[in-house]
Amino acid sequence: MRNPFSRRGHAAVALGAVAALALGACSGGVAGGEDAATEDEGPIRLGMLAPFSGSEAAFGPYMENGAQMAIDEINEDGGVLDRDLELVTEDDACDATSATAAANKLITAGIVASVGGYCSGATLPTLPIFADAGVPMVIPAANSNQLVEADENGVFLINGTGDQQAQAALEWAQKQGAQRLALVDDNTDYSADLAAAVAEQAAETDIEIVLEESVTAGESDYSANVNSILSADPDMVYWTGYYQEGGLIAAQLAAAGYAGELLVADGTVDAKFAEIAGAAAQGVEGTFTQTPDMLEGAEDWIAQYEERYGEGPGPYSTQAYDAVRVVAEGIEAAGGTESEALIEAIQNIDGLELFSGPLKFTEEGTLSAGGFAIVEVGPEGDFVLLDDLQG
Amino acid sequence: MLQLVVDGLFVGSFYALVALGYSMVYGIIKLLNFAHGDVYMVGAFTGFVVLSSVTGVAAVGGLASILIVLLIAMLLTGILGVTVERVAYRPLRASPRLAVLITAVGVSFILEYGVRQIMGPNPRVYPVRLSGETFNLLGARITLPQIILFAVAAGLMVALNYLVMRSRDGRAMRAIALDPQAAKLMGVNVDAVISRTFFIGSALAGAAGVMAGAYYGTVDFLMGFVIGLKAFTAAVIGGIGNLYGAMLGGILLGLLESFGTNFLGGEWRDVFSFACLILFLSFRPTGILGARVVERM
Repeated sequence: MRNPFSRRGHAAVALGAVAALALGACSGGVAGGEDAATEDEGPIRLGMLAPFSGSEAAFGPYMENGAQMAIDEINEDGGVLDRDLELVTEDDACDATSATAAANKLITAGIVASVGGYCSGATLPTLPIFADAGVPMVIPAANSNQLVEADENGVFLINGTGDQQAQAALEWAQKQGAQRLALVDDNTDYSADLAAAVAEQAAETDIEIVLEESVTAGESDYSANVNSILSADPDMVYWTGYYQEGGLIAAQLAAAGYAGELLVADGTVDAKFAEIAGAAAQGVEGTFTQTPDMLEGAEDWIAQYEERYGEGPGPYSTQAYDAVRVVAEGIEAAGGTESEALIEAIQNIDGLELFSGPLKFTEEGTLSAGGFAIVEVGPEGDFVLLDDLQG
Repeated sequence: MLQLVVDGLFVGSFYALVALGYSMVYGIIKLLNFAHGDVYMVGAFTGFVVLSSVTGVAAVGGLASILIVLLIAMLLTGILGVTVERVAYRPLRASPRLAVLITAVGVSFILEYGVRQIMGPNPRVYPVRLSGETFNLLGARITLPQIILFAVAAGLMVALNYLVMRSRDGRAMRAIALDPQAAKLMGVNVDAVISRTFFIGSALAGAAGVMAGAYYGTVDFLMGFVIGLKAFTAAVIGGIGNLYGAMLGGILLGLLESFGTNFLGGEWRDVFSFACLILFLSFRPTGILGARVVERM
């Protein structure tokens, strides 16, 4: 009963249907984008790029939860300019290529501001994309100096920059009486920048940089790097990469008999670090933006967070929460979502209470105050506040 | 200096274990099995799943339980290797070599992203970690787990050598490597022997995976990629298709990396090892032992 004619007929119908669907999808996508950007009805969309897969996938949900919490709170209070806020997230996988595609997707979805950005290497290529679309960025986590140097209009950093983190690391090294500092990075933008910033600032102190070394991320054996660290004989090692390699390096340093101090940067400050490093995690210190559990008066916020998500807030939950509030404040002040007015309004925010203190952006869009603290691996394996470096 | 030798030997023994599977398969059916590194990864995850599901047992005897898990993982990865051969490679045995090579790359992706789908994209931490004392040997540090893992790797290689050189199966393997047609005419069951070769090669890679997981502490779904390439490099350096060549190549690559990174810096490690691969392919494609041995196995 196979009639070739009818089969061809089916094929034609199917083809037509596919074409119709494709056309519909395209026009829907484009029109949807324009509607959301120009129309004054419906929710105001904020976009967030964060890693939900890949080696940094642990951080994406923390940021998403924090931002969602701010959005729900604002919506419960009647929204912004009588409109609800809505969060649109996309996975950047901490990878430049995925991030670029994801940024374009967010723009098509009609976001008016971006409140994401975790990996500096993935965030950097999205800067011109958002700038061309007139979307201001309030970046909660990424903090490479290159983000500032890119000098795009409408880029604001809620986290301290690499320079500020380097300053904190050196301050702590001096406080600990370290003379010989070894810098180890993993060759990513964030990590190499931070190491370079430390090396540059160390020239003005009496600390000697005895080693600057890079590792290849994704390996498991770092014995070669461990050897060169041991032969440089530092009092303190500053690891500026992420926790997966950080955990392995800490374990292998300890196994090799390194007795000095190990300081890690904020990319490694995560409970997973202690899991990977095992016993070697004891006594490891880190430079970190303050998290809610280190802040006074944040108990209510933590309790709410735990109630909603069934677990404690992780790194960058507060920064993502604050990023949403900054944008909301900006939209309120600008009286709309028009790009230039919104950027100017965010730039002019003065005294909005963030977790890191009252907000005032510098000319470059970085925080004028509030910064890094020193944390230490506690008995539970998570990092706890050791010294807030405030005095 | 001795420290560099120790580190190189240790990493090299992992490369050698994985390189053996590459070399055996190449020796017998002239296939570069690019999925081999991912069998190593599956082995590591098998160990992870078994250890996590019986944490009570694992807590009792660290080393003993890891050895048992090692055997379970070897069995399962061996079966995986046989299945891959049966499903993906055997139907293509008469096809051009390129078709099988591309299939191998496809199998590699299936294994990687299959595991990602099941176990998630995040690195997982091994529930049991080998730890122990550190010894000082003439100024070089060696830890107890390193000695144990090195001994296990050496034991597996000796057993394999015995199997290939002394047993009936081994003779059949060598016969097929020499001339599959003639072996068939002499009554060797070629398909069965190839299956067994895949079983042994994959089991060795699985063992290396469990050992790496228990020693370094983390496993992730892409961990097989780099080591697969390194093992291929090791096999080429030693002379691909040659068992002793694979062992020698693995150890040599470990040493080259260890010394190379010491002089050039850690970020040059992969550049250095793959530069060695290219040099060998250009100037001595048969590897160190390749030309001298007539019998390829």
